[in-house]
Amino acid sequence: MVCAFLVNSQQLFLCLTGYERKWNLQTEQTSLRFYSTGMTLDNINKPDIDRIIRVDHAGEYGANRIYAGQMAVLGRTTVGPVIQQMWNQEKDHLKKFNELMVTFRVRPTILLPFWNVAGFALGAGTALLGKEGAMACTVAVEESISAHYNNQMRTLMEEDPEKYKELLQIIKKFRDDELEHHDIGLDHDAELAPAYSLLKTAIQIGCKAAIFLSERI
Amino acid sequence: MRRASDEQKQELPPSSSQQRYESHPPGDRPDQEPQRSHHSYTDQGGEESEDYESEEQLQQRILTAALKFVPAHGWTADAIAEGAKSLGLSVAAAGMFHTDGSELILHFVSQCNSELSNLLEQQQKLVQLGQAEKKKTDQFLRDAVEARLRMLIPYIEKWPQAVSILLLPHNIPASLNLLTSMVDDMWHYAGDQSTDINWYTRRAVLAGIYNTTELVMMQDSSSDFEETWHFLENRIADAMTMGHTAKQVQSTGEALVQGLMGAAVTVKNLAGLNQRR
Repeated sequence: MVCAFLVNSQQLFLCLTGYERKWNLQTEQTSLRFYSTGMTLDNINKPDIDRIIRVDHAGEYGANRIYAGQMAVLGRTTVGPVIQQMWNQEKDHLKKFNELMVTFRVRPTILLPFWNVAGFALGAGTALLGKEGAMACTVAVEESISAHYNNQMRTLMEEDPEKYKELLQIIKKFRDDELEHHDIGLDHDAELAPAYSLLKTAIQIGCKAAIFLSERI
Repeated sequence: MRRASDEQKQELPPSSSQQRYESHPPGDRPDQEPQRSHHSYTDQGGEESEDYESEEQLQQRILTAALKFVPAHGWTADAIAEGAKSLGLSVAAAGMFHTDGSELILHFVSQCNSELSNLLEQQQKLVQLGQAEKKKTDQFLRDAVEARLRMLIPYIEKWPQAVSILLLPHNIPASLNLLTSMVDDMWHYAGDQSTDINWYTRRAVLAGIYNTTELVMMQDSSSDFEETWHFLENRIADAMTMGHTAKQVQSTGEALVQGLMGAAVTVKNLAGLNQRR
């Protein structure tokens, strides 16, 4: 009797969650293969991939705006070309994520206009502290982003390294680029910025919050 | 064991539904149905998962069968009962569902959306094979909304009832979900590749167009709903104009900003402030 009741509650629970999931599933009839290793719209873990692509897209978009802000202030100084070069790489990253977003039908975060303004303000604001400030901002942000990419790579590898091979390669390459930016920042006297550790901590907390929000909203 | 658990399930329906304790003969034995490619919500095989999977499939079959009776009985438990009867099951099977007919309506909407997806997918294939012309965005959206709304025509008498049920608080998450995924599908096949805030504005606008056209359709008495399609055409044209205007405003704004920057640089030059640090 108890056994039957337990079986029922389990089935009822499954039934209820099943109902919700039933209405959520719009079965995709498409079977286009987007990558040679077989990462298709049907066989991926859609909620997880959604989050990954959404947050990465937001991140690259924000990074673009940060560099734009830095260039607006320091564009015509000696450090201008260095920032410009890093900015160009971020533009490539953003382009790649735009493509992935369309391919996997991922919704962009609704906070994009906010990241637009906040990124530019952060870049311009730190640049107004001088070139060291700008470099400190770069170091902080790139460190956050690299750690974040590492986490994502871990998640994907735990799930299915073969299926997500191409995505893993993309994220790995971008992480390496970001680490390079981090090192360039250090080379250009980031640590000499005013209140360096405070600035760095504050920016990294902001990055964590941005990542948390962009994954969900 | 299975029959006992089936009977136990009959006692689980919400308190609002009538308690029908007729023992239901398992007319169509569910586990003899061919296994369709359907998600199993329990991993381990065995009686439970088979039961669960076939119960869900059974519910789908009952709801699909019930649709035939909707024009006569409305979106009610009566229609579901008739549907169950037509499959050779007991009318007690209607006890599996809420009495307000929510599941029936949601099932219908979900089915229509899948049909629309298939239709748009087929059209896309034809275009890719070069057997059909690629439509312009406004024409595409018009045709997609029209095709989707035409699926309501057999049920149009009772559709206002359905809409009001879908607006009940406990149905809103599901119905909103269905609406957003339908609109997302339409834009996807229309070729939308936006990755910024436009993604949201486009879908919101199309959802608005769909809903208002649906309302117009429910009150339309012209032949073959001509007025509805005319209304739809105008709304889509409005949306396109809005899009163009927005673009124009943006480019005007950009031009203005450029002009101001130029003026500022000129003033700085004249005042001698523009020197390399």
